[in-house]
Amino acid sequence: MKAVLQIENLTKNFGRLCAVNKMNLKVEAGQVFGMLGPNGSGKTTTLGMLMSVINPSSGSFKWFGEEATHETRKKIGAVLEHPIFYPYLTGQKNLELTAMIKGATKDQIAEVLQLVELTDRRNDKYKTYSLGMKQRLAIASALLNDPLVLILDEPTNGLDPMGIAEIRELIKKIASDGRTIILASHLLDEVQKVCTHFAVLKKGNMVYSGPVEDVNNGSETVEVNAEGDISEVLSAFDGVSAVNRENGFYEVKLKDGIKSKDLNKFLFEQGVTASHLVTKKRSLEKQFLEILAESK
Amino acid sequence: MLHLLQIDLKKLTSYRTFWVVCGLYFFTLGTTTASGMEFLKWLVSMGASFGAEINITRIPFYHFPDVWQNITFVSGFFKAILSFMVVISITNEFSYRTVRQNVIDGLSRSQFLISKVLTNVLLSAMSTIMVFVIALITGMIYSPSIIMGDVLTDLEFFLAYFLEVFAFLSFALLLGILIQRSGLTIVILVLSRLIEAIIMANIDDYVPWMIPYLPMESISNLVPMPFPRYVFQEIQDYVSISSVLIAGAWTFVFNYLAYLKLKKSDI
Ligand SMILES: Nc1ncnc2c1ncn2[C@@H]1O[C@H](COP(=O)(O)OP(=O)(O)OP(=O)(O)O)[C@@H](O)[C@H]1O
Ligand SMILES: [Mg+2]
Repeated sequence: MKAVLQIENLTKNFGRLCAVNKMNLKVEAGQVFGMLGPNGSGKTTTLGMLMSVINPSSGSFKWFGEEATHETRKKIGAVLEHPIFYPYLTGQKNLELTAMIKGATKDQIAEVLQLVELTDRRNDKYKTYSLGMKQRLAIASALLNDPLVLILDEPTNGLDPMGIAEIRELIKKIASDGRTIILASHLLDEVQKVCTHFAVLKKGNMVYSGPVEDVNNGSETVEVNAEGDISEVLSAFDGVSAVNRENGFYEVKLKDGIKSKDLNKFLFEQGVTASHLVTKKRSLEKQFLEILAESK
Repeated sequence: MLHLLQIDLKKLTSYRTFWVVCGLYFFTLGTTTASGMEFLKWLVSMGASFGAEINITRIPFYHFPDVWQNITFVSGFFKAILSFMVVISITNEFSYRTVRQNVIDGLSRSQFLISKVLTNVLLSAMSTIMVFVIALITGMIYSPSIIMGDVLTDLEFFLAYFLEVFAFLSFALLLGILIQRSGLTIVILVLSRLIEAIIMANIDDYVPWMIPYLPMESISNLVPMPFPRYVFQEIQDYVSISSVLIAGAWTFVFNYLAYLKLKKSDI
């Protein structure tokens, strides 16, 4: 597959502080790539370097297999940290300005305004917008000129739950057109819902990167309940690696390759009827915290 | 090129402050330069006495070709107002962080700077044209007879005037990029001439030859003060090539430093 973005040994030092340390990363076409990491781990700094607003201390990166120029950036829509616009211009005029810079046509402005539902407010000054409206305008502006890549840095920051869900749908829709998306976010649930791949940064170091589906691989955990104390019966099963009591349920961690139906069959054979049996989906959140803890 | 100018004008033309400051500039510039003779007549009618033997209204301020140098010289003082607009325009880009978004959206840093420099060229050109039109009209009103030879003499003062305004706007742009905050930039811009005057007073005894090379001094040397000629003193009634070269070199340095600063900083 063709690499949309290839990062090699990218490093940024702010004085003595190393914000990004020798990062290597490859993002391929069509991926929805989540960038995770605690506050100050270097997500925005990395994205800033990729958009040439922060000069790297060392290392390099290539967009679409070529050295980045300002022409490359016209094909990348990006919002870093917070929306940035001229407060005294209307939403419409701000987008016209972006369109002029990117070389987008005027019809696209109406299109993206419609998409983020700001058509009614387009002739109001940007400074009169609510935070959520500013975020939407920023996304609209990033969508001008049909970008091949969309970079969003906490795009749902400050949005209402409905707005968050809408942005999620929007991201999925854009991704389904085959466009590549790079998303920095603290909402791990969001990332799990929309991303295909993710990387974890910690104090400037990339401590993990891989596909999101891997999160669901590996050992399964099953929540079980039945009448009476069944902990001994559960422990007797060969496929069990650990049993815990939690919130009134038994949390049973199964060995690799063992499925919940195997446990159910075993219980049935032992004459125990489970009143509750749920396979727990492993959350990205849990994995994220594990990765951070492991990388100490 | 034109595209970059259009981008910067798009930012400015919907900005009320831009119209207020530019309106103020062109209004004060226009009224002051055009009404000099009326003002003197009014002073005389109020009984002001400039010495018995001189009737001030008979002094040929507005006669061709004197009018060219007189008006370009006086107009030079107003460039400070225009430079405030340049400072506001560039420091806004930093305080709103729009310079960052402009670059993200696909302007290179040098293109961003060029868009600002082109606006400076446009403002300087508009100011020059306005001053020329005022000088032409007042010259035609007040000159006793219009002799083509006189009208076409000394037109190089407009070239010098254009350079004077453009050099100063370039300086304002550089300060704005270095300081990034409008208030402080304007204070330093206003004080720069004063600071240079202090330096001049100090080096006068040791290296007086250096004085014409100082930036603000070189800019003000472009159009020399004409008025002492009316009290029979010798003046420089031409544009000296050396002053054009020195001020031109400074203009280049200002814009080049702005480019270097913008290139190497994180925005
Ligand atoms: N201009 C700067 N000067 C000095 N240090 C900076 C600068 N910008 C960022 N840093 C530092 O670099 C580190 C990484 O910051 P960055 O903004 O990339 O983090 P982040 O992962 O985006 O965090 P968050 O989740 O809070 O947005 C932080 O320690 C920050 O203090
Ligand atoms: Mg950030």
